[in-house]
Amino acid sequence: MYLFNSEIVNKEKLTQNIFRLRIKAANDFCRVATPGKFVMLGSDDSLFDPLLRRPFGICRWGTDWFEVIIKIVGKGSSQLSKLEKGASVAVHGPLGNGYPINKPENEQNTLILVAGGMGIASIASYLFAAFDRKQPLIGTFLLYGAANYSELILLNELTDADAFGLQLQTITDDGSCGRQGLVTQLLSHELQNNPQSQVFACGPEPMLKSVQKVLQKNECDGFLSLENRMACGFGVCLGCVQSMINEDDETSVKTAKVCTQGPVFPAQQVIF
Amino acid sequence: MVDLKVEIAPGLVLKNPVMTASGTFGYGREYAPYFDISRLGAIITKGLSRQPKIGNSGVRITETACGMLNAIGLENIGVERFLSDELPILQKMNATVIVNVFGNNQDDYANLAAKLDGVAGIAALEINISCPNVKAGGIQFGIDPQAAAKLVAAVRKKTSLPLITKLSPNVSDIVVIAKAVEEAGSDCISLINTLIGMAIDLERKCPILGNVTGGLSGPAIKPVALRMVYQVAQAVSIPIIGIGGIANARDALEFLLAGATAIEVGTANFINPQTSIEIVEGIEQYLDAQGYSKVTDFIASLELN
Repeated sequence: MYLFNSEIVNKEKLTQNIFRLRIKAANDFCRVATPGKFVMLGSDDSLFDPLLRRPFGICRWGTDWFEVIIKIVGKGSSQLSKLEKGASVAVHGPLGNGYPINKPENEQNTLILVAGGMGIASIASYLFAAFDRKQPLIGTFLLYGAANYSELILLNELTDADAFGLQLQTITDDGSCGRQGLVTQLLSHELQNNPQSQVFACGPEPMLKSVQKVLQKNECDGFLSLENRMACGFGVCLGCVQSMINEDDETSVKTAKVCTQGPVFPAQQVIF
Repeated sequence: MVDLKVEIAPGLVLKNPVMTASGTFGYGREYAPYFDISRLGAIITKGLSRQPKIGNSGVRITETACGMLNAIGLENIGVERFLSDELPILQKMNATVIVNVFGNNQDDYANLAAKLDGVAGIAALEINISCPNVKAGGIQFGIDPQAAAKLVAAVRKKTSLPLITKLSPNVSDIVVIAKAVEEAGSDCISLINTLIGMAIDLERKCPILGNVTGGLSGPAIKPVALRMVYQVAQAVSIPIIGIGGIANARDALEFLLAGATAIEVGTANFINPQTSIEIVEGIEQYLDAQGYSKVTDFIASLELN
């Protein structure tokens, strides 16, 4: 991973309170980025308020830049939202394990990507990486849920010509786009049609809990990308740990650091 | 070249006065990708107990104005695994290693001290009598001068390693505790551990931390830490290690002026993993620019108005 001060090369408003930053990065950084990894970002460490850097999934990257998508929820994201093109930003990353994309895949299996709300920023990193490699996405489903139509960010980019073969289904809490309901309903349905699927999911914890249940019910493996609070991002603060099933001794529980052992974990291991 | 060497206990000379606070530096190797950790005065490990500890459940950290609250609950791999898996790595990296230990009772501390006595690659012990986040994590010893003295004396008997006692600020008079542990045989005092604090989620009308309360750290606590270091420095004759909100070389130098022989960098390690080594460089640059030939001439040179 790398530590550097960089520059914002583009800022784009996606909704009233969600924006995308494109940040300059060295080629070395971009070479080690993989879908599902994240960065810690800070605007000015010397101010101490906010004190800690904030974790954001690397949504897309090129040869000398990467992008993150930020929703304004508190002090850290709010301060980052005030940065404009040309402003400096402190970067630490890429961090974390990312999605297990290097595993040999059975060609017949389908891949189901499940995104809830801002979880799309992480899930989309898999899709953008495929677009950028011109990799067709036949047999790949994207099940995408959000509160309403305007919160379904990136929709245009995920349905354009790059997304060759991708089967996209949306669902919203208020029915303003796609069916009304929860994204796990779409997952249940798709797993019945494609019981041998691989599943990657990212979203709020209640959604991931529910994805875990659906996977269990369908005896299907999958991976969940968690978004726990963290102070450091590199395995020392122990603030982000998640309880996990201890495979060596099933009567006990162990903890895993979401930052370095995750953020992506096999769904059946996570104890919510 | 400024001579940065400091002696924090009889015979224990560090190459510079910058250490890393327990609980913010893992077991050391987590920082190896960022800089050569052997360049620090010493690294202080995550607090170790006799048995591994899983720590607290629920939300463990939350940010506050210029600070953070943590309620990790002393999660650690236990002394056995530290000795077998972590210490050899630190030795290979040539790091100066100070081991932080804690227990539920006096026997635990004495047992840990005996176990670590004479182990190659350990420069000193820091005994934690000040963790605010677990019911039995040493704090019962840290708030009572007699109990603190008794514990230090018991540990002293079991080890020939230099002993540093880490004090809690959550007491009515830290000077009394400092004097008690000095008399009981502590070679050095480190202060301060975190201040007990609390954060509330107004929307959910509940405490943010799973443990309800947590330890406040970061720049927010620096003035309290500086004041306590200054007060203790007036009252004891053993060396003091200053801890509390140190985020840059200026902060570190202020603690040295106040009477600390060395300092520990804590929360700032989370923000930028290179903070501690940048502080070593910053102290050297400052002293050089000010015409000092050795850091010991600068320590405790505070001029009162």
